[in-house]
Amino acid sequence: MPAGRLADLKTGLTRYNHRLSTLSTDEERMMTTAESTSAVNRHSLWLAILLFVLVAAPAVCAQWLNYPTPGIPRLPGGAPDLKAPAPRTSDGKPDFSGMWFANVPSKDYCREKDCIQEERMAREQINLGIKLKDGLPYTEWSKEQMKVRRANGGREDPHTYCMPPNFPRAWTLPQHTRIVQTPGMMVMLHEFNAAYREVYLDGRPLPVNPNPTWNGYSTGHWEGDTLVIETNGIRDDMWLDIQGSPITESARVTERLKRLNFGLLQVEIAVNDPKAYTRPWSVTVEMAVQVDTQMLEEICMDNEKDTRLYKK
Amino acid sequence: MTARLYLVVACVGVWLTVVPAASAHHSQSEYDLRAKLEVAGTVTKVEWKSPHVWVYVDVLDDKGRKVNWSFELPSPNTLMRRGWTRDSLKAGDGITVAGAPAKNFPAIGIATSIKDSSGKPLFTGTTQIYEP
Repeated sequence: MPAGRLADLKTGLTRYNHRLSTLSTDEERMMTTAESTSAVNRHSLWLAILLFVLVAAPAVCAQWLNYPTPGIPRLPGGAPDLKAPAPRTSDGKPDFSGMWFANVPSKDYCREKDCIQEERMAREQINLGIKLKDGLPYTEWSKEQMKVRRANGGREDPHTYCMPPNFPRAWTLPQHTRIVQTPGMMVMLHEFNAAYREVYLDGRPLPVNPNPTWNGYSTGHWEGDTLVIETNGIRDDMWLDIQGSPITESARVTERLKRLNFGLLQVEIAVNDPKAYTRPWSVTVEMAVQVDTQMLEEICMDNEKDTRLYKK
Repeated sequence: MTARLYLVVACVGVWLTVVPAASAHHSQSEYDLRAKLEVAGTVTKVEWKSPHVWVYVDVLDDKGRKVNWSFELPSPNTLMRRGWTRDSLKAGDGITVAGAPAKNFPAIGIATSIKDSSGKPLFTGTTQIYEP
């Protein structure tokens, strides 16, 4: 429920309670019949509003999925002003803070028709190089890897059996990412498995010979209004998409983040991985800001039942 | 509600366009997406959990035997973002499910449509999405 409406109701209930407490017997005796009827009607109205708040509101506003995000630019009608300039932090840097999801058009017909499985998904979730004319430049090693990875129809995909959402793949997954930006660090929270990624903005160098991890080790620096994130230390057996495009320990990933306006975040993903690709390549994905909603945790191992269905 | 198995497995090529090639966390290749499946029965259990909601339905086959089918839906989060809740479907509800069967297991499927006993689709709509 909007804060303004809640405040109005609180004010009304306070007045109602005050009215009840000040109604002395003498006052009631002084009331005419008409006045009494009017008071009863007013009391009935407030009781009806109270009942609506207690009974109906929880059904309408489950969690905060429709709760207005405070402090964002809005149009006169109340909708977010997605074309407004990108916000800036107190030190003048572009502020990437907020919830983001791949900029995938919604399917309006789902509002009226039955389409359970019609999920909003980035095409890059299946093939990260889908917009490249010749696709990703796989090495022979990568091509052999992908044959093995696809042999069981996707059962070997780490995402299928609930392993962490690894960046840069995580940008394309059908769960939301929240960016929390501070002067010295950017944190990316991801709904899938309630995961996190740290990007250090304090000037430290990338680690030398790091212990490989799902997200690797990331540092960022500013080039004008673009945040350039460098990552190394990625595990040797990672997937970039559902079709099994590899990324390995030899990879150096450069992500260039630019907030085009309030509503859009452009993420250029450049991969230099000589083990998996014959040459460096880059793709750009666009993220749309998500407002008037909230992050919802998705713990995959809670009830994973798909891996049993694939052929072995 | 008395349940009845209606149709199982009819190859329809164009049906591939109804079900996408991937969902929230897997490729869906474990299902025969070319096959059309429709059953009617009574909900016995709903698992409203990640990564996918599962709905269990008692269905009578053509010999009158009760078979408990299990159907996969998207994640609870995806469904909630379209305005549905964990109470949208519950044990005892009479429903008709359309979908595709698992390739390697009986009585398991992925649901693409669920209608109540009056034929009204239960899972429609979406929450407000602002598109830049």
